[in-house]
Amino acid sequence: MQTIVTFLKTIFLVDLLKGLWLTLKYTPQPAFTFQYPAERRPTAPRFRGVLRLQTEPGTGAQTCIVCDQCAKACPDDLIALGGHREPGQKIKILDYFDFNLSRCSFCGLCSEVCPTKPIKALIMSEDYELGSYNRDTQILRVDEMYDGVTIEQYTR
Amino acid sequence: MGLIDHRFEDNFITTSIDRVLNWARESSIWPMGFGLACCAIEMMAASASRFDIARFGAEVFRASPRQSDLMIVAGTVTKKMAPVLRRLYDQMPEPKWVISMGSCSNAGGPFPTYSVLQGVDKVVPVDVYVSGCPPRPEALLYGLMRLQDKIRKEGTVLRKERVIWQGDTEPTVIGERT
Repeated sequence: MQTIVTFLKTIFLVDLLKGLWLTLKYTPQPAFTFQYPAERRPTAPRFRGVLRLQTEPGTGAQTCIVCDQCAKACPDDLIALGGHREPGQKIKILDYFDFNLSRCSFCGLCSEVCPTKPIKALIMSEDYELGSYNRDTQILRVDEMYDGVTIEQYTR
Repeated sequence: MGLIDHRFEDNFITTSIDRVLNWARESSIWPMGFGLACCAIEMMAASASRFDIARFGAEVFRASPRQSDLMIVAGTVTKKMAPVLRRLYDQMPEPKWVISMGSCSNAGGPFPTYSVLQGVDKVVPVDVYVSGCPPRPEALLYGLMRLQDKIRKEGTVLRKERVIWQGDTEPTVIGERT
Protein backbone atom coordinates (compact mmCIF):
# COMPACT_ATOMS: atom_id res chain seq x y z
CA MET A 1 0.00 0.00 0.00
CA GLN A 2 2.75 2.39 0.98
CA THR A 3 4.64 1.74 -2.20
CA ILE A 4 1.58 2.40 -4.34
CA VAL A 5 1.00 5.76 -2.67
CA THR A 6 4.63 6.72 -3.16
CA PHE A 7 4.43 5.59 -6.76
CA LEU A 8 1.33 7.64 -7.46
CA LYS A 9 2.88 10.65 -5.75
CA THR A 10 5.91 10.32 -7.94
CA ILE A 11 3.84 10.03 -11.10
CA PHE A 12 1.58 13.00 -10.40
CA LEU A 13 4.46 15.19 -9.13
CA VAL A 14 2.69 16.01 -5.88
CA ASP A 15 5.75 17.39 -4.13
CA LEU A 16 6.61 19.63 -7.05
CA LEU A 17 3.09 20.99 -7.25
CA LYS A 18 3.10 21.61 -3.51
CA GLY A 19 6.20 23.71 -3.86
CA LEU A 20 4.92 25.54 -6.90
CA TRP A 21 1.62 26.26 -5.18
CA LEU A 22 3.46 28.30 -2.56
CA THR A 23 5.12 30.31 -5.29
CA LEU A 24 1.86 30.81 -7.12
CA LYS A 25 0.11 31.88 -3.94
CA TYR A 26 2.46 34.83 -3.60
CA THR A 27 2.37 35.83 -7.26
CA PRO A 28 -0.91 37.82 -7.37
CA GLN A 29 0.00 39.83 -4.26
CA PRO A 30 1.17 43.40 -4.76
CA ALA A 31 4.90 43.99 -4.66
CA PHE A 32 6.37 44.29 -1.22
CA THR A 33 9.26 46.47 -2.33
CA PHE A 34 9.35 50.07 -1.33
CA GLN A 35 10.34 52.22 -4.31
CA TYR A 36 12.56 54.42 -2.18
CA PRO A 37 13.66 57.47 -4.20
CA ALA A 38 10.19 57.85 -5.68
CA GLU A 39 8.17 57.24 -2.54
CA ARG A 40 9.32 58.03 0.95
CA ARG A 41 8.44 56.09 4.06
CA PRO A 42 7.00 58.37 6.72
CA THR A 43 9.19 58.48 9.78
CA ALA A 44 8.00 57.26 13.14
CA PRO A 45 6.76 59.97 15.51
CA ARG A 46 9.76 59.61 17.78
CA PHE A 47 12.25 59.23 14.96
CA ARG A 48 15.56 60.96 15.56
CA GLY A 49 17.25 62.29 12.49
CA VAL A 50 19.93 64.88 12.11
CA LEU A 51 20.10 67.72 14.60
CA ARG A 52 18.50 70.99 13.49
CA LEU A 53 18.13 74.46 14.90
CA GLN A 54 14.71 75.99 14.82
CA THR A 55 13.79 79.60 14.38
CA GLU A 56 10.64 81.42 15.38
CA PRO A 57 8.04 80.37 12.78
CA GLY A 58 6.67 83.70 11.64
CA THR A 59 9.52 86.08 12.19
CA GLY A 60 12.53 83.88 11.69
CA ALA A 61 14.03 85.19 14.88
CA GLN A 62 16.59 83.20 16.79
CA THR A 63 15.21 80.94 19.49
CA CYS A 64 18.50 79.57 20.81
CA ILE A 65 19.50 81.34 23.98
CA VAL A 66 23.12 80.12 23.92
CA CYS A 67 22.80 78.39 27.28
CA ASP A 68 25.39 75.76 26.34
CA GLN A 69 23.36 72.97 27.88
CA CYS A 70 23.33 70.85 24.73
CA ALA A 71 27.10 71.02 24.54
CA LYS A 72 27.32 69.86 28.11
CA ALA A 73 24.78 67.10 27.63
CA CYS A 74 26.44 65.62 24.56
CA PRO A 75 28.24 62.44 25.61
CA ASP A 76 30.83 62.82 22.86
CA ASP A 77 31.36 66.60 22.98
CA LEU A 78 30.19 67.12 19.44
CA ILE A 79 28.48 70.46 19.87
CA ALA A 80 30.28 73.75 20.30
CA LEU A 81 28.40 76.99 20.35
CA GLY A 82 29.09 80.54 21.37
CA GLY A 83 27.49 83.94 21.33
CA HIS A 84 27.87 87.48 22.45
CA ARG A 85 25.71 90.08 24.10
CA GLU A 86 24.52 93.13 22.23
CA PRO A 87 23.86 96.25 24.28
CA GLY A 88 20.14 96.82 24.55
CA GLN A 89 19.15 93.28 23.64
CA LYS A 90 18.19 90.78 26.25
CA ILE A 91 18.95 87.65 24.26
CA LYS A 92 22.44 86.46 23.49
CA ILE A 93 23.25 86.49 19.80
CA LEU A 94 24.33 83.11 18.46
CA ASP A 95 27.70 83.44 16.76
CA TYR A 96 28.60 79.91 15.88
CA PHE A 97 27.07 76.52 16.32
CA ASP A 98 29.28 73.69 15.20
CA PHE A 99 28.01 70.17 15.19
CA ASN A 100 30.19 67.22 14.37
CA LEU A 101 27.81 64.91 12.55
CA SER A 102 30.42 62.27 11.77
CA ARG A 103 30.54 60.95 15.33
CA CYS A 104 26.94 61.58 16.33
CA SER A 105 25.04 58.57 17.59
CA PHE A 106 21.65 60.33 17.43
CA CYS A 107 20.86 59.78 21.09
CA GLY A 108 18.80 62.95 21.36
CA LEU A 109 20.15 64.08 24.72
CA CYS A 110 20.98 67.52 23.33
CA SER A 111 17.45 68.25 22.18
CA GLU A 112 16.06 66.77 25.38
CA VAL A 113 17.79 69.30 27.59
CA CYS A 114 17.03 72.28 25.36
CA PRO A 115 15.04 74.59 27.65
CA THR A 116 13.55 77.05 25.16
CA LYS A 117 9.79 77.31 25.11
CA PRO A 118 7.39 77.12 23.36
CA ILE A 119 9.50 76.51 20.30
CA LYS A 120 12.37 74.20 20.96
CA ALA A 121 15.54 75.62 19.50
CA LEU A 122 17.23 72.29 19.02
CA ILE A 123 15.29 69.38 17.59
CA MET A 124 16.04 66.01 16.13
CA SER A 125 14.55 66.48 12.70
CA GLU A 126 13.30 63.89 10.25
CA ASP A 127 16.15 64.22 7.80
CA TYR A 128 17.99 60.97 7.44
CA GLU A 129 19.42 61.24 3.95
CA LEU A 130 22.97 62.01 4.91
CA GLY A 131 25.81 61.20 2.61
CA SER A 132 28.91 63.23 1.98
CA TYR A 133 32.01 62.84 -0.08
CA ASN A 134 34.48 63.99 2.54
CA ARG A 135 34.79 64.33 6.24
CA ASP A 136 35.07 68.10 6.39
CA THR A 137 31.50 68.60 5.23
CA GLN A 138 30.29 66.43 8.06
CA ILE A 139 30.86 69.26 10.49
CA LEU A 140 27.70 71.25 10.21
CA ARG A 141 28.07 74.99 10.68
CA VAL A 142 25.28 77.22 11.87
CA ASP A 143 23.89 78.03 8.43
CA GLU A 144 23.57 74.34 7.58
CA MET A 145 21.84 73.64 10.86
CA TYR A 146 18.64 75.62 10.50
CA ASP A 147 15.52 73.59 10.06
CA GLY A 148 14.30 73.35 6.52
CA VAL A 149 17.72 73.33 4.93
CA THR A 150 17.28 71.60 1.61
CA ILE A 151 19.27 68.44 1.19
CA GLU A 152 19.99 66.99 -2.20
CA GLN A 153 17.32 64.43 -2.93
CA TYR A 154 16.99 61.91 -5.67
CA THR A 155 13.66 61.45 -7.36
CA ARG A 156 14.33 58.75 -9.89
CA MET B 1 27.93 63.18 -29.13
CA GLY B 2 28.95 66.45 -30.59
CA LEU B 3 29.86 66.65 -34.25
CA ILE B 4 29.06 63.12 -35.38
CA ASP B 5 25.72 62.89 -33.63
CA HIS B 6 22.66 62.41 -35.88
CA ARG B 7 24.78 61.99 -39.00
CA PHE B 8 24.11 58.30 -39.44
CA GLU B 9 20.97 56.26 -39.84
CA ASP B 10 18.52 55.99 -36.99
CA ASN B 11 19.78 52.72 -35.59
CA PHE B 12 23.21 54.05 -34.73
CA ILE B 13 23.99 55.39 -31.32
CA THR B 14 27.15 57.37 -30.84
CA THR B 15 28.55 57.90 -27.41
CA SER B 16 31.81 58.30 -25.65
CA ILE B 17 33.62 55.37 -24.10
CA ASP B 18 33.60 57.11 -20.76
CA ARG B 19 29.86 57.35 -20.72
CA VAL B 20 29.29 53.73 -21.64
CA LEU B 21 31.81 52.39 -19.18
CA ASN B 22 30.58 54.62 -16.41
CA TRP B 23 27.03 53.55 -17.12
CA ALA B 24 28.07 49.93 -16.92
CA ARG B 25 29.99 50.50 -13.74
CA GLU B 26 27.39 52.51 -11.93
CA SER B 27 24.58 50.11 -12.68
CA SER B 28 26.28 46.95 -11.51
CA ILE B 29 28.14 47.74 -8.35
CA TRP B 30 28.68 44.47 -6.60
CA PRO B 31 29.24 45.13 -2.96
CA MET B 32 31.29 43.13 -0.59
CA GLY B 33 29.38 42.68 2.60
CA PHE B 34 31.70 43.91 5.28
CA GLY B 35 29.30 43.85 8.17
CA LEU B 36 31.12 44.40 11.42
CA ALA B 37 28.46 45.59 13.85
CA CYS B 38 24.86 46.71 14.07
CA CYS B 39 25.04 48.63 10.77
CA ALA B 40 25.27 45.25 9.10
CA ILE B 41 21.67 44.59 10.10
CA GLU B 42 20.55 47.69 8.23
CA MET B 43 22.72 46.68 5.30
CA MET B 44 20.96 43.32 5.26
CA ALA B 45 17.62 45.10 5.46
CA ALA B 46 18.61 47.23 2.48
CA SER B 47 19.40 44.12 0.50
CA ALA B 48 16.22 42.33 1.52
CA SER B 49 13.00 42.56 -0.42
CA ARG B 50 11.51 45.55 1.38
CA PHE B 51 14.13 48.03 0.20
CA ASP B 52 15.73 45.86 -2.42
CA ILE B 53 19.14 47.18 -3.28
CA ALA B 54 18.82 45.09 -6.46
CA ARG B 55 16.91 47.98 -7.98
CA PHE B 56 20.27 49.72 -8.19
CA GLY B 57 22.06 46.69 -9.56
CA ALA B 58 23.92 46.09 -6.35
CA GLU B 59 22.23 42.99 -5.05
CA VAL B 60 25.06 40.51 -5.38
CA PHE B 61 26.70 40.64 -1.99
CA ARG B 62 29.91 38.80 -2.55
CA ALA B 63 31.79 36.98 0.13
CA SER B 64 35.01 37.28 -1.81
CA PRO B 65 36.85 40.53 -2.45
CA ARG B 66 37.99 39.31 -5.85
CA GLN B 67 34.47 39.54 -7.24
CA SER B 68 33.35 42.83 -5.76
CA ASP B 69 33.58 46.49 -6.73
CA LEU B 70 32.32 48.18 -3.62
CA MET B 71 33.17 47.70 -0.02
CA ILE B 72 30.45 48.74 2.39
CA VAL B 73 32.22 49.08 5.71
CA ALA B 74 29.30 48.72 8.08
CA GLY B 75 30.24 48.90 11.69
CA THR B 76 32.95 49.57 14.21
CA VAL B 77 36.41 48.92 12.83
CA THR B 78 38.69 47.85 15.61
CA LYS B 79 42.41 48.22 15.31
CA LYS B 80 42.70 44.46 15.16
CA MET B 81 40.37 44.39 12.16
CA ALA B 82 42.04 47.29 10.33
CA PRO B 83 44.90 45.32 8.70
CA VAL B 84 42.41 42.71 7.55
CA LEU B 85 40.21 45.42 6.09
CA ARG B 86 43.13 46.94 4.23
CA ARG B 87 44.16 43.55 2.91
CA LEU B 88 40.67 42.81 1.66
CA TYR B 89 40.59 46.24 0.01
CA ASP B 90 43.89 45.50 -1.70
CA GLN B 91 42.54 42.20 -2.97
CA MET B 92 39.60 43.87 -4.68
CA PRO B 93 40.13 44.45 -8.41
CA GLU B 94 40.11 47.96 -9.82
CA PRO B 95 37.85 49.91 -10.17
CA LYS B 96 36.81 49.80 -6.54
CA TRP B 97 34.93 52.06 -4.22
CA VAL B 98 34.32 52.26 -0.52
CA ILE B 99 31.21 53.38 1.32
CA SER B 100 31.71 54.08 4.98
CA MET B 101 28.42 53.39 6.68
CA GLY B 102 27.55 54.68 10.10
CA SER B 103 29.18 56.86 12.69
CA CYS B 104 31.59 54.21 13.88
CA SER B 105 33.30 53.69 10.59
CA ASN B 106 33.06 57.37 9.68
CA ALA B 107 34.91 58.68 12.67
CA GLY B 108 35.02 56.10 15.39
CA GLY B 109 31.60 56.95 16.72
CA PRO B 110 31.11 56.96 20.46
CA PHE B 111 34.30 54.97 20.98
CA PRO B 112 37.30 57.29 21.24
CA THR B 113 39.26 54.49 22.80
CA TYR B 114 42.54 52.68 22.32
CA SER B 115 41.04 49.75 20.49
CA VAL B 116 38.83 51.41 17.90
CA LEU B 117 40.06 52.86 14.63
CA GLN B 118 39.06 56.51 14.51
CA GLY B 119 37.59 56.54 11.05
CA VAL B 120 38.01 53.96 8.35
CA ASP B 121 39.58 56.58 6.07
CA LYS B 122 42.78 56.08 8.02
CA VAL B 123 43.31 52.75 6.26
CA VAL B 124 41.28 52.84 3.03
CA PRO B 125 40.26 55.79 0.83
CA VAL B 126 36.55 56.36 1.35
CA ASP B 127 34.26 57.65 -1.40
CA VAL B 128 30.97 58.23 0.39
CA TYR B 129 30.34 58.66 4.08
CA VAL B 130 26.83 57.74 5.18
CA SER B 131 25.93 59.24 8.53
CA GLY B 132 23.55 57.64 10.95
CA CYS B 133 23.68 55.37 13.92
CA PRO B 134 22.81 53.11 12.24
CA PRO B 135 21.64 54.70 8.99
CA ARG B 136 18.26 53.68 7.73
CA PRO B 137 18.23 51.39 4.73
CA GLU B 138 17.05 54.41 2.76
CA ALA B 139 20.11 56.32 3.88
CA LEU B 140 22.33 53.55 2.59
CA LEU B 141 20.49 53.63 -0.71
CA TYR B 142 20.98 57.38 -0.72
CA GLY B 143 24.69 56.86 -0.20
CA LEU B 144 24.70 54.38 -3.05
CA MET B 145 23.04 56.94 -5.30
CA ARG B 146 25.62 59.50 -4.25
CA LEU B 147 28.29 57.00 -5.24
CA GLN B 148 26.59 56.43 -8.59
CA ASP B 149 26.68 60.18 -9.14
CA LYS B 150 30.35 60.15 -8.39
CA ILE B 151 31.04 57.26 -10.75
CA ARG B 152 29.08 59.01 -13.51
CA LYS B 153 31.34 62.01 -13.29
CA GLU B 154 34.72 60.38 -13.18
CA GLY B 155 36.95 59.44 -16.10
CA THR B 156 37.36 55.76 -16.80
CA VAL B 157 40.66 55.45 -18.61
CA LEU B 158 42.32 58.14 -16.57
CA ARG B 159 40.62 57.18 -13.37
CA LYS B 160 42.11 59.04 -10.50
CA GLU B 161 43.88 56.66 -8.19
CA ARG B 162 42.53 56.70 -4.69
CA VAL B 163 45.08 57.47 -2.06
CA ILE B 164 44.64 58.01 1.62
CA TRP B 165 45.02 61.63 2.47
CA GLN B 166 48.35 61.91 4.22
CA GLY B 167 48.41 64.19 7.19
CA ASP B 168 45.51 65.30 9.23
CA THR B 169 42.50 63.17 8.40
CA GLU B 170 40.50 64.60 11.24
CA PRO B 171 38.45 67.63 10.29
CA THR B 172 39.21 70.93 11.92
CA VAL B 173 38.58 71.23 15.61
CA ILE B 174 35.16 72.58 16.29
CA GLY B 175 34.46 75.49 18.51
CA GLU B 176 37.80 77.20 18.51
CA ARG B 177 37.11 80.12 16.22
CA THR B 178 38.95 83.38 15.96
